[in-house]
This record gives sequence, structure tokens and C-alpha cells, in this order.
Amino acid sequence: MIAKRIVTILVAVGLMGLGLAAVSAYAIDLGDVLKVGGIAFLVSQYDDEIDSFITSALGEREAAAKGATKVVPILSLGRGGYIGAAQVVGSPENVQRVKAVVQVEGRFGSGRAQVLVPTTTDKASGTPDRAKGVGVSAVIEFRI
Amino acid sequence: MPQRLRVPTVMALGLFVVLAAAAVFSSADVSFRSAERDGARVAEVLIGERPVIVLRTSAAGYRPLERAEIVANRLRAALQNEVRPEDVEVGSVEGGTGLYVHDHLIVAVYEGEAEAHHATTDALAWLWRDNVLLALGHEPVEEESEASGAEEQPAQDAGQAEVGAEPAAAQSTQEAAEMAAASEEVDWTGTAQKWAPIFSLETEGLRLGMAQVAGPPAQVEQVKGVYQLRLDFRNIGRVYAYIPVSTLSVTKLNRLQGVSVWALADIEVLDF
Repeated sequence: MIAKRIVTILVAVGLMGLGLAAVSAYAIDLGDVLKVGGIAFLVSQYDDEIDSFITSALGEREAAAKGATKVVPILSLGRGGYIGAAQVVGSPENVQRVKAVVQVEGRFGSGRAQVLVPTTTDKASGTPDRAKGVGVSAVIEFRI
Repeated sequence: MPQRLRVPTVMALGLFVVLAAAAVFSSADVSFRSAERDGARVAEVLIGERPVIVLRTSAAGYRPLERAEIVANRLRAALQNEVRPEDVEVGSVEGGTGLYVHDHLIVAVYEGEAEAHHATTDALAWLWRDNVLLALGHEPVEEESEASGAEEQPAQDAGQAEVGAEPAAAQSTQEAAEMAAASEEVDWTGTAQKWAPIFSLETEGLRLGMAQVAGPPAQVEQVKGVYQLRLDFRNIGRVYAYIPVSTLSVTKLNRLQGVSVWALADIEVLDF
């Protein structure tokens, strides 16, 4: 009798655990979707404004870059989707062609490393093709 | 020391040593900077720690600091080869006097600049020549300087005379044309790369990092570090601007044009 009760309780607890895990996974997915969508919206809405903001802020410090600049979304190669924005700088014709910056990130202990690759496509798949003559001058993290 | 703190501390110290070594060994002999002399903002070109050319006036639409960058690039390129005293010469350019190294024009001196130094164009060119020679460890040839009628003292403090002249208007000269060609469109297509330390202090803690910068070889060679500037954009986002600099100064950011960041790496040293 006691053994039956114990088995029943264990099964119930197991099922609850599975249910919570499923709900939790769903919440993370939904959060990511909202975040990615939110960042895409913010970049499209504020790209020019952020670009001017950075340029003028650096100009006040006599540190503005001499070249064309543009704010584009950052695409994560590992996580997929938009994770932020970046200001790219370079010659006007090359900057014009840049559509996104692909970020490849790695972590080691309390350290982190990220490679930022300006590309002429807005898809993060395979090996990113670096746009020539363009580099990153600023990274923007959105509060979402 | 607790075991859990030992590894991060050793890693942090190791990274600090690497960063310090990178800063030391990446230092170029020729640099430029903005400085204040006699209450006026001027641009200096330095060999090592020694200012050899001081530019006080604008020309061709370029401010003294922008001119100094061009002059520093020319001087750096010229000093790639061994320089003997006879390789540093003063000659004429259209409308002024030029300082040459290995027959390459380093800087042209026109009336506006000379007036700002209370000197003649010849005297100023000879003064800068002597400064370059002294900085390179050579003795200036006395009779040549005297023959030029230099009024200023050759010194490591190049061009100390009081500022008296207004900035020169744009001059349609050889140098103006060269400067326009050199600076109108910065070359961002260089392929040289280098790792440089990132300097940043955030409210959440201190992080030490490194950035891979890329650009034309002459510019990349000058990079001594990358300053990370943190800005808040409204309440929407946080901006981290990365500024490759040629000098490590907390008061002035001497941005190197044509150089941008390709990769970032950092390690958390302190968390507060």
C-alpha cells in the first residue's frame, strides 16, 4: 500500500516537473521571439537617429570617424536572429552595401570573445562573407 | 588566497602583462597629438617623445591636427629606411619652403604658418629639420641653419614662438593638393590587422580587453589602444563606441582614421 502511494507521488512529481519544463521552454522561446522582433523594430525605427547620436557624441570629443557611417542590425550566428545593432564605418560605396553585422561569440571562464563581421546579406548562415573596406565603430545593446 | 580566486587573479595578471607588453611593443616612433602652447591649441608631430614639428595654422580646409596626421604618416614612411643627416633637407616648394627626407616632401612651410611662429618660412623649415635630426640622434649642421637666418632656437620644444598669426586661408599649393588627396577620402580598405588593448571602466566592474583592429598598414602600426566609450541612447539602448587611438591619453582622444574594429575579447577582472 505504502509502496503504491510512493510510486503515485513520484509519478505525479515527475509529470509536474515535465510540465513546468515545457512551460519554461515555451516562455524562453516567446521571450526570444519578442526580443528579436523588438530589436528589429528598434533598429529600423532608430537607425538614423542612433547613427547621428554616435557621430555627434564622438564629434564633441574630436573623435568622430571620417568616413561614411550607418547603423545596421547585429545577427548572431550561434543564437540566430537580431541581438543588437552596430555602427559600421568605411568608404561610402562599401558602407552602402552593408546590411548587417554577423556576430560570432564565444565564452571562456569569465572572459568572452566576439568577432564582428559586416556583411552584405541579412542572413546569418554558414561562413559570413566580410564586406571589404568596412569595420565596426560602435556596438549598441538594446534594453528589452 | 581562496582557491576560487586564484585562477581569475592569475589570468587577470597574465592578461595585464600581455596588454602592457602589447602597448609597449606596438608603439611607433612617429606620432602626433594635440597640445596647448601659449594658450593656443596646436598640433605636434613627435619622434619618440620629442615634438619636432608644431603646426599652428589650418590649411586647405584642414585643421592643424589633421595636417599633423598627414605629416606624421609621411615622416613615418620616410623613416622606414635608415636616415643620415644629409637625407634630411630643406628645399623649395611652390610658394614656400619644404622639409624633405629621402627626397620626399614631409611638410611645406608657407607664410601663414611661418608668421604664426614669428619666423620666416626658411627659418622654420630649418628649425624643423634640426629638430628631426636631433630626435634621430644626429647633430644638426650648424652653418646651414645659420645660413638660413633662423630666428627661433632649435629645440625639442619646436616652434615655441608666440602665436600671432591668424590661421592661413586655404592655399592652392602643392601641399594643399597633396593633403586634399590624402585626407578627402580616408582609406578604409587596408588589410593590416593587429590586437590592441581596450581601455574601459564601467560602473558594473572593471574589464580588461583586447580589440582586433584593421586598416591601412601605416595607420594600424600607430594604434596603441582602443578606447571604449559608453553612451546611453535615451532609455532604449546602450552604445559602446570603439575608438582606435595613437596616444594613450585620458584627456584627448587622438582617433586614427581608417582603422576600425573587427573583433573584441575581454575578461572580467573585478565585479562591483
